[in-house]
Amino acid sequence: MEIQVKNLYKTFLDTPVVDDVSFTAKAGQIVGLLGPNGAGKTTTIRMILHLLKPDDGEILFDGKPFSARLKSRIGYLPEERGIYLKHTVGDVLMYFARLKQLNARKAQVEVVRHLDRFDMVDQLETPIYQLSKGQQQKVQILTAIIHDPDLLVLDEPFFGLDPLNQDIIRKLILRFREEGKTILLSTHQMPMAESLCDEFVFIHRGKVVLSGSLAQIRKQFKQNLIVVEADDNLRELEHLNGVQHFRLERNTAYLTIDHRVPAKKIVSEIMDRITFTRLEVNRPSLEDIFLQIVQPEEAETQDKQS
Amino acid sequence: MRNFFTIMGWEFGRHLRSRSFAMATLIPPLLFAAIILVFLFFYQQQNTPQPRVIGCVELDTVRYCPELHRRLQERQAGMPSVILVTIQGDTTPEFRQKFSYLQRLKAELDSLNDAYNKIKERRRYIFQQPRSAKRERLLRTTYEQLHLTREQRDLAELEYTNNRARVDSAWNNYLIQTADSMLRSNAIEGYILLDPEEFQQGIVEFHSQTPSNFLQIEPIRQVLQEFLIEFRLRQAGISSGEISQFLQPVEIREILMEGHQRREFNFMLSYLGPVIIVVFLFVSIFTPSGFLFFSLISERKSRLIEILLTSASPLQIIAGKIIGLGFLGLVQIFVWIGITIGVIMFYLPGEEFWSLFTWQHLLIFILYFSLGYLFFGAIYVAIGSLFDSEESAHHINLLLRMLAISPILLAVPILLYPNAWIVRILSFIPFLTPTFMILRTPLGHPPLIDYYISTGVMVVSIIVAIVLGAQLFKLSMMWYGKNLRFRDALKLLRGL
Repeated sequence: MEIQVKNLYKTFLDTPVVDDVSFTAKAGQIVGLLGPNGAGKTTTIRMILHLLKPDDGEILFDGKPFSARLKSRIGYLPEERGIYLKHTVGDVLMYFARLKQLNARKAQVEVVRHLDRFDMVDQLETPIYQLSKGQQQKVQILTAIIHDPDLLVLDEPFFGLDPLNQDIIRKLILRFREEGKTILLSTHQMPMAESLCDEFVFIHRGKVVLSGSLAQIRKQFKQNLIVVEADDNLRELEHLNGVQHFRLERNTAYLTIDHRVPAKKIVSEIMDRITFTRLEVNRPSLEDIFLQIVQPEEAETQDKQS
Repeated sequence: MRNFFTIMGWEFGRHLRSRSFAMATLIPPLLFAAIILVFLFFYQQQNTPQPRVIGCVELDTVRYCPELHRRLQERQAGMPSVILVTIQGDTTPEFRQKFSYLQRLKAELDSLNDAYNKIKERRRYIFQQPRSAKRERLLRTTYEQLHLTREQRDLAELEYTNNRARVDSAWNNYLIQTADSMLRSNAIEGYILLDPEEFQQGIVEFHSQTPSNFLQIEPIRQVLQEFLIEFRLRQAGISSGEISQFLQPVEIREILMEGHQRREFNFMLSYLGPVIIVVFLFVSIFTPSGFLFFSLISERKSRLIEILLTSASPLQIIAGKIIGLGFLGLVQIFVWIGITIGVIMFYLPGEEFWSLFTWQHLLIFILYFSLGYLFFGAIYVAIGSLFDSEESAHHINLLLRMLAISPILLAVPILLYPNAWIVRILSFIPFLTPTFMILRTPLGHPPLIDYYISTGVMVVSIIVAIVLGAQLFKLSMMWYGKNLRFRDALKLLRGL
């Protein structure tokens, strides 16, 4: 299923929360919706799911507007999780399967099949409150995929999961992609997004500030990233010629260098000025790129406020 | 449509199996049964086995108390609620000695009076005899005797009067002190004080330490009344036969007319019954409404509502929940009917019971339950949409419940004047309609138009509440994490 989001606008009490957001998610693609808290990701997702009506713009599913029939082809996992804790795993999954228009027989088969895949078939009759937090998360994810949706919208699917369960979900998402499903993934975990997504949409203050594939984004941000670890005063590196962005975390400095300045020149300047314990020259990660975009604006806002 | 049935079945099934539903269904009948049993036990204890002992203190005389005691016994034959005991006067040797002395003085006074009268008689006789020297001498001698006897009699009378006042005062004081002491030691629960002069004017004092005893002396009041009337009639020269005929008591049989039917009126059943039924109505409306309210809040808080909305329309979700939980309310009502039938199998109630528990009343109960539940359910959907936590919604929930149960506070005037204009008007206020109509039905037989108007008002109110609830439910999708302010809600509603 192809999703086309065109020029979406949404305002709450005169405050724009989604401002001209556009992107496309094709079948067999994982599209990452990335951005800080309050950026407008969840509101965008709610409009895609037809939970909210946009003030302007349109959302097309395979070129057509939303219709009630589409509901059984969509799976959704919200960011904040809750489930009917007092009820058994089987009852809850059956309920959601039935809501997604599966008939009783098919629903029973799918419940057992999915539980088996998650190695939880023994918990069919177990009340959910008796499960571990990780298992409860898995049940929640199962409610979103029990009906084998064509569009899967996952809002922070890895939140609260241990690395083992994160890997299970990661593989599940990849399998869905292989099956040609469309996946919209909203997450704060940039490394996970970088390893999973085919397309990225960075949203900040309701606007799309960056979008495209990893290669396209990196093409826009050709800078080198120099990582310096030292006990010396790293602050003095901030004013080196060619440093576009400087970030200091404890005794590690991250310097984003203008692509026109040779990295070799900067490295030799660093070697002249301080004694370091580690020095690396890398391509910037998604997180670095994102911080580069977001942080100057944040600093500007703070200046205005002060 | 399929989703509507799925949601309805899910809401019905999951709450049917819940512990809170079992408690809300079983505890009220048990609680009422317990309260009624305790009340009946107390009532029986108060009425039959332990009659109240009331003392009778009679000043100066000993004429009335034994007679009042006899009459009271006759009046309460077999079931005495009050026993009248005569408080005895001073019988100590000391008092007896004083009394004997007084009696001697009285005898002496009587004797002197007698002697004085005899001398007077004799003088009258001598005076009537022909004039003679003997006559003159006798008149002179008897005059001296008369003078001497009169002086002696006056002195004796003075002595007697003084002593009598002292003895009477001591006697009366002793009686009152004895009665007070018995009252303080709870040997008696009160006493009547009869002063012969005041009693003939119809005044009797009743002394007690417990206010409730003032309400319990009706049998004594009746006996005193009868006794006094009889006394006055006798003084007026009416014969005993006629007097007893005049004093025949009146027996009033209380017959209640219901259309063309008449039945004997039972105060307890007619007044307590509707109040209990209203409490059951309240529980049956607010058990499923409460489930609806808290289910919505918790699904909103946990974002489960978003998952539901990606599968079903808001109307399907709201309708599925309201109707599913409405069936739960009906199950509760039928469980109570089952319990009532079970009780009837052990205890076959009288005709009055069946006049209250009719098919017609059951249908009216189900009608007002359905209207009340749909109305409050829709309001709960509206309110539940505005809150993110149970704590925040708690007060508004409490307010709604208080509003719905408030007619219980007016139960007595409603039951006394079920068709008064103010009661009729209040019956048409949607928040009060179900309870008012249920309270009015058994005693008042409201006019048919009242049922039509109240049903119409409720139907319109339900539609308004559902429209408002659905709008706020849609609005709630925009607002997470904090409670929505009223003016913001209005602003957003205009934008929907």
